[in-house]
Amino acid sequence: MATLTNDQIKVLEQSRQRLAQLTRSLGSLIASLNQSDPLPPWSSLQSQASIISNNLISVSEQLSDHRDLLSTLVAYPGPEYPGRTQANTLEQLLRTKLDPRVEDWVERGRIAGTEKPPPDTFAIANPSLAATAAQKQLTEADLAELWEWAPIEANEEARRRNWGGNFTLEEREAGIQNVVTGLRKQLEDDEEEEEEDEEEDEGEEEMEIVGVHRKSGGNGVEFDIAPHHAHPVQPVVPLSDILRYMTTGRMS
Amino acid sequence: MHELLLFASVPTHQHAELLQQLAGLTAMQPRHCFERRLIFKAYRKPGVANARVGASQDLQSGDLQRVNKMLNGGMFYTQVVGPIQSADFADAGVTDAAANASANANPNPVNPDPDTDTKMDGMDSESSIPRSAYDFDQQSWQLEFRDIPEAGTRSAVTSRVMATAALPRGDIVPSMNAWGYSFVTEYLVEGDMFIHNDIVLNLHRVLHYPTNPGEENQPRRQMPTLQQMAPLEKSGSYVLQASMMVQDGSNQETMKTASQHLFGLREQLKSAVRLEMADRLSLDTRVK
Repeated sequence: MATLTNDQIKVLEQSRQRLAQLTRSLGSLIASLNQSDPLPPWSSLQSQASIISNNLISVSEQLSDHRDLLSTLVAYPGPEYPGRTQANTLEQLLRTKLDPRVEDWVERGRIAGTEKPPPDTFAIANPSLAATAAQKQLTEADLAELWEWAPIEANEEARRRNWGGNFTLEEREAGIQNVVTGLRKQLEDDEEEEEEDEEEDEGEEEMEIVGVHRKSGGNGVEFDIAPHHAHPVQPVVPLSDILRYMTTGRMS
Repeated sequence: MHELLLFASVPTHQHAELLQQLAGLTAMQPRHCFERRLIFKAYRKPGVANARVGASQDLQSGDLQRVNKMLNGGMFYTQVVGPIQSADFADAGVTDAAANASANANPNPVNPDPDTDTKMDGMDSESSIPRSAYDFDQQSWQLEFRDIPEAGTRSAVTSRVMATAALPRGDIVPSMNAWGYSFVTEYLVEGDMFIHNDIVLNLHRVLHYPTNPGEENQPRRQMPTLQQMAPLEKSGSYVLQASMMVQDGSNQETMKTASQHLFGLREQLKSAVRLEMADRLSLDTRVK
């Protein structure tokens, strides 16, 4: 039973420090989740998560670097250890098997680590573990199917709404003549470009609203000249000729 | 002073929409304005005109000095600009009730009142000459000198030397003749103005006066009805002009800042209109 060299003690001390750091950052995350109401902003959560993940990486590096030493070490109480007052710590140190809870964690971690665990053994040993494992793992085929399904579904969902226009659906339902825009001009409730790829019923709805415009507006002239570009007229005289006329009174 | 400009042609169907967009952008209601623009052309060699009176050099006002400088610099077209109100147009006043519908074949379709809708171009009967509150003798004028835009500027902005000076009210032609300038023609600019930070936005178009014989050689003393004015651009399109004035055109720093502001506006309006620099020769004010 050789005593530890200084180097080995140093390794142990380093491991202890890194573990302590990990515990601290986990503790601060838990505390911020518990204390702040509403939840802390996502940016701070994310930075805490990245700190924790860095801590985990450094712990795991430390443990695997000194695997040989750590796996051969045996703990035993020295004669000067205060066994009476520190009985709990002593028991923890002298454990030969892991705590049942910790054993669960380790098991779950191993399952997540191995690519595809043999389902039967775990299902028998621990059904809940098998369930979590199945939830996390999607096969390549499943993923492809999801990707095929999602864009179409999202697009359809988007199409159900009428994007653009001057009024929201709520304002239309309440009657657009009640909307206070602060503008002297009448706002049109449709836009030609958007209209083109709308469905039929969308068009009917727009027609009704145009009708409301007529009744409530009172100034039909503005309505008539409003931007309905059914027959766009491009200028005949080029801009440079207009400017030339404005400058010299002649067109050429 | 320098003036930096960008222009865009606005088709008539886009006009109302653009007005709204500009109102939103500038957070102000459009300011509708009319301007009479008289074009004068130099006919004398520069240096001949002298507006000094006697030996009273010290008494020359700043404006007069500037006018001298402008007018003696070279052979240029200059503009005399007079703002008018919409009430100055003939249809804003009261027409002679004797000019009834039977005497005239040209009823004004816009006026809803059948008794007063008979305004004419004033040629076939004395009684049908429309009256308005317009008083030519009280018309205020401003001389606007614009140099030809600078050549070979690296930035994509029209930039030119400019100067303005106040002129006496009323008939301006004798004074201009004395300076060596002859009247060429006149037109009306109708449009809306917006201010966006340090940029003035003018959305305007040129209107022609109805041509009456004998009126071509001098500025009109009476305004016709607005309905008789015909747009120069037959489709009724407008010109959007974004302009910015720079006091010291030799300061490269301010000129750069100013054109950057204009570019910023161009970016903001990119989806609505395409603001561009104008063809330099189309703004050539030199007399050839």
